Amino acid sequence: MSKVAYSLRDVRYTYPDPPSGFALEIDSLRIGPGESLGLVGPNGAGKTTLLMILAFLVKPALGRLEFFDEDPWADEARTLLARRGTVLVTHHPYLFKGTVFDNIAFGLRVRSVTERDRPARVRAALALVELSGWESRSAAGLSAGQAQRVALARALALRPKVLLLDEPTADIEAALALRIEAVFREISRGTGATVVFSSHNFSQASRLADGILYLSEGKRVPFSHENCFSGTAGSDGRQSWIEPRPGTRIVFPGAFMGHVTCVINPADIELFGADDPRVAADGPNVFSGRVTRLETTEADLALVRVSGDLTFRVTLPLREVEARRISLSRPVLIKFKPEAVEIIGSEPSEKPHD
Amino acid sequence: MIVRELVLAIGVSLKTSGLAALIASLLAVPAALFLAGRDFRGKRALLLINQTWMAAPTVVIGLLFYFLLSRIGPLGRFGLLYTQAAMTIGQVFLILPLITGFSYTALRQVDRRARLTALALGASRRQASWVVLREAKFALLVAVLAGFARAVSEVGIAMMLGGNIRNATRNITTAIALETAKGEFTNGVILGGILLVITLGINILVQVGLRSRD
Repeated sequence: MSKVAYSLRDVRYTYPDPPSGFALEIDSLRIGPGESLGLVGPNGAGKTTLLMILAFLVKPALGRLEFFDEDPWADEARTLLARRGTVLVTHHPYLFKGTVFDNIAFGLRVRSVTERDRPARVRAALALVELSGWESRSAAGLSAGQAQRVALARALALRPKVLLLDEPTADIEAALALRIEAVFREISRGTGATVVFSSHNFSQASRLADGILYLSEGKRVPFSHENCFSGTAGSDGRQSWIEPRPGTRIVFPGAFMGHVTCVINPADIELFGADDPRVAADGPNVFSGRVTRLETTEADLALVRVSGDLTFRVTLPLREVEARRISLSRPVLIKFKPEAVEIIGSEPSEKPHD
Repeated sequence: MIVRELVLAIGVSLKTSGLAALIASLLAVPAALFLAGRDFRGKRALLLINQTWMAAPTVVIGLLFYFLLSRIGPLGRFGLLYTQAAMTIGQVFLILPLITGFSYTALRQVDRRARLTALALGASRRQASWVVLREAKFALLVAVLAGFARAVSEVGIAMMLGGNIRNATRNITTAIALETAKGEFTNGVILGGILLVITLGINILVQVGLRSRD
């Protein structure tokens, strides 16, 4: 039986100093070897904290964490061994004083890679991030984007079993970000490394990851807060609705009052051509709009952004896109069941309703 | 003051204060590294004691060690009073809090991400600490040099524990005190100038040495 890269059970972590209200709580998570996992969530969701735990830089206060079926916190030697199996590239990476070469060679040196082998490894890593020939440059003079690329090269040079990336393309221009994404795919496929990365960008996570873990306020949530809407609820006792914009109503089951925040899973939304006879344009939770973004992912899924009175993100199989002749700028209708609407926040109104 | 005596006094100054700076640095920098890298109960009290100790007058430290090292004192049997060793011991205790305090500030200013990055790249705790020291090396150097400057320029400890014995424990500062007491102000000023030049020369040498290694 092949080993699991990570196995987390009831892991909990709180920042001890200064104590904050934030707590990361992961009930269960398994990441297989060679898998790529995207962590998606808003700021403060716990993505970076989880990456720090996966990099063995912070120890969970509670719960069980296994790395390739071993307890990485059993003793200092195992912790070091586990750390050397992973590399974390932080969002704002720190570069040591010295040259680009010094920075990239650091991890090789602590792993006792011979001095003779280091230059070739450094050169290869720099080529991957399109910084060939930058070895002798001073790390102090690099821009944020260049520093990010050097940090990536520093991680890639180590050929780790697990590559952990905290918003890896955040400070990199769009064209290079795509190139970096291609590098990740190469690493994932070519080396069999496990890749875990965080991103605000659901589309990027869908493109790169085999699976996505959605986090919100330190907890695993069923899906991303894509399609998140809020407003004052109205109710007829059987079902309720909010109007994120005047005249635009999202209907959901149950009786709710006060301010309500809801999300709709992109996979639970159906997409049709505007003239599709199967959809009544005046039905509940039917919205019209145009396709303003259309992307395909590795998993034969299409990510579609539909902009109208409200903007929705929809995921659907590629074959459905072709069958329904969905294309950019095309007018479309989207539809979802009231049961697809999940209420994630509800606050009572200041004035009680009768 | 003849040249030979002058050279000997300079030698005593460099030897006792250089050794004091070295010993104090070996104690103070690891202590500062520990303090900068950890938060624990009582840390603030320790820092407060260190700050207070920094301001201790040299004669107070001289008096304390005079008692400890004198024949009737607890360390009297070692016969260290009025020796260069006694001067060095006193100076170590004089500059220990200074180097600790400056090093602590220097290490706190090193981005905490430096240690984290080193650990994330597979460094052991010791290697990560070494990275932090390396990142702060210029500021640490300033701390050590400040300690040396304080030791080489003090007179109270050298006088009380060294005794200003000609060709044995007389250093530049006790020589200046003696020359001034004799009314030889010109000699005193010349010796003061020499002291400054020596300190300047050491500063330049160390800075140049470190930069050329960078």
